[in-house]
Amino acid sequence: MKFSLRVLTVVMILSIVLVACGAQPAQTTNGSNEKVDLTFWYWAESDAPGADAWMTESVEAYKEINPNVTINIVPQSTDTLISAFQSAVTAKSGPDIASQWATGPVLGFVWQDAVVPISDYVPADEIKNWLNTNENTYEGKIWGAPLYLIGIEIMYNKDMFTQAGVTPPASGRWTWEEFLAACEKLKAAGLTPFVIGDKDGYAGAWWFAHLGMQSLDSTDDLRQAIIGNKDFTDPHYTGWYSELDDMVKKGYFNENVMSLDLSQGAQAFSQGKGAMAWGTDGMIKQALNDLGADKVGVMRTPKLGTGKMADTGNATQSITFFITKWSPHPQEAADFLAYLHTPDRLNSWYQHTGVIAADARFDRSLVTDPVLKQMMEWETTGPQVWLENFLPGQVDSDGDLPAGQMIFSQSGTPADAAALWQRAAETWRNQHPDELTNWQNWQQ
Amino acid sequence: MLDKKLSTGTGITFRKIEPYLYLAPATILIVLIFLYPIVDIIRTSLLQNNPDGIKTFGFTNYRLVFEDPVFWEALSNNGKLLLSVPILTVLSLLIAILLFEHVRGWLVYRGIIFMPYILAIPVVGVTFVYLLGLNGIVNTLLRGAGLEFLAQDWLGSVKWVLPSLSIVIIYREMGFGVVLFLARLMSLEKEMLEAAAIDGANFWQKHIYVTLPQLSGVIEFLIIVELITMLSWVFAYVFTMTGGGPGFASTVLEFYIWKHAFAFRSPGIASALAVVLLMVTTVLIVLQLRLRSRSLEEGL
Repeated sequence: MKFSLRVLTVVMILSIVLVACGAQPAQTTNGSNEKVDLTFWYWAESDAPGADAWMTESVEAYKEINPNVTINIVPQSTDTLISAFQSAVTAKSGPDIASQWATGPVLGFVWQDAVVPISDYVPADEIKNWLNTNENTYEGKIWGAPLYLIGIEIMYNKDMFTQAGVTPPASGRWTWEEFLAACEKLKAAGLTPFVIGDKDGYAGAWWFAHLGMQSLDSTDDLRQAIIGNKDFTDPHYTGWYSELDDMVKKGYFNENVMSLDLSQGAQAFSQGKGAMAWGTDGMIKQALNDLGADKVGVMRTPKLGTGKMADTGNATQSITFFITKWSPHPQEAADFLAYLHTPDRLNSWYQHTGVIAADARFDRSLVTDPVLKQMMEWETTGPQVWLENFLPGQVDSDGDLPAGQMIFSQSGTPADAAALWQRAAETWRNQHPDELTNWQNWQQ
Repeated sequence: MLDKKLSTGTGITFRKIEPYLYLAPATILIVLIFLYPIVDIIRTSLLQNNPDGIKTFGFTNYRLVFEDPVFWEALSNNGKLLLSVPILTVLSLLIAILLFEHVRGWLVYRGIIFMPYILAIPVVGVTFVYLLGLNGIVNTLLRGAGLEFLAQDWLGSVKWVLPSLSIVIIYREMGFGVVLFLARLMSLEKEMLEAAAIDGANFWQKHIYVTLPQLSGVIEFLIIVELITMLSWVFAYVFTMTGGGPGFASTVLEFYIWKHAFAFRSPGIASALAVVLLMVTTVLIVLQLRLRSRSLEEGL
């Protein structure tokens, strides 16, 4: 008896271990009327407050139309947006639909064969209504769906301008000299001319996307430095850091710039702690709510550079939603993404977020606030490029972001910042010869 | 009966293999959790990228790691964090001795000092971000006390970010050291301390000449454990408090490994970095085991 009990105990323990090792995830069924579960790793709230509530509403509405389809929304964090999905790519397992910032980040995963082109699943007459699809077009296919357009412009506090005797630009855009003169006046009036947060490095990246773009002739111009045909220490690419450094030295930014992250910097503007700040549509809408609709104005980035892109807009779809290669339900995933572009969903999106939808069918009459109307006009007129999307992730992380932090923390010179860019690009080229080949072959 | 059946053909009885069967589940878990990842990381570290996208075996990733300026900056930052180990050890020892002297309320103090150690690191990190901001609580208090010249951008300055991180790490890790020392102190022979007191030794003499030698084993253990911590257990502090910045001023090896593995899509480089870190910590672990074995032989 004692012996049998010992044998039974050993067999039971081994059985438990074997079962645990062999456990399989629950299988979902497929078929037009059979249950379909889709997992959607979703990011948008940081860009457009209200986006999460809108998505919850959209999922519930879609369920009513398609009761057999269940969408599981998994909100993503900004800090781990790329890394979390990279883990999924490594495991070849994860969501059916994922979110990544447009162009560079999306293509990085396309090149890892983790994405299927959405243009294979959504009809062309539907896609033709989507805006800014050029941001994710590669080899003739569109690899992800846009949802909204955001531009990033300067929001200003009208009362502070009046207090300092500063007149905003009638054309909506200052020259660089006019901008500096305004900063000097604001500082003399005891105000913080420009409030920003660069603890996370993204404020410096926004300055790059605005000022760095103005000296370039095309995105391919930037690509030449990335792939090593040109040098980032050339003032053509990084000369604008001298202007940023000059602004820091003159005290035109808040003192605690390195204690605030990007969103906290925008919040500081809404709290009346600075006369100007960068703002996305969502941030500007928040400022209008907090400070008053008649207290906030917007203007375009002051003109510094003389390259062909000096007047290019910076609107981007920001985030792209794409279908993963391992999803067993790519058509159902595409159908849901197309549903998000129905008129009801587009209008509801704007009601929730105040950010315009990236769709030609978006009812522009919904935008009534004059400031947001102005943003919409800038974002939908002329060519639009968000330059940061045209950087490899490592060059962005190890060049762009720390270079800006170096200037804001005054721990290096503009030449040091430029050298950091060059170093990051060289390291990336050495460490990623396969990615370098893709970038060399990518015709922009 | 089964014993007899087994022994007839193979010479192995069930009784002989039974202990191994009981050990098998734990062994399988240890192999899966520890050994397999190590083998896989070493294998991945030898897979190098090529322009055509085909991976081949070689030591290129290690060469790229040693040529990467950020690797040396991260290693240097880890080295600077090591300087906080002696501070941590001395502080833990002093506080443990004070508690051992049974100052009034020592039980309460012991709990308060140990409490940060049981808090999750992200909780501690986020809290100190608010405390150490340029307009955070610490600077507000300093300014309020007329000490504005002492107020710094503790986490936003290249000069102060690592010392600030060190202070936070010491604050949290100190509880472990105090409890470790206190446990050993409570097991010391009281007669030796009483004899020293009778012989006229003062507080410092008593503890330097009597207590410390008997704590040498624990001191060695704590130093090695904390050295390993400073090399390979500070990721959460850096991630929550500074993101490795400003610039690379607080980037440590673990954080750089994470960036390569998950943000830069370079598992080969990340694995090579991890193997380098593993080698360094292995040296420390072997050292710690040897010191421990020596302490046991000496009866400490």
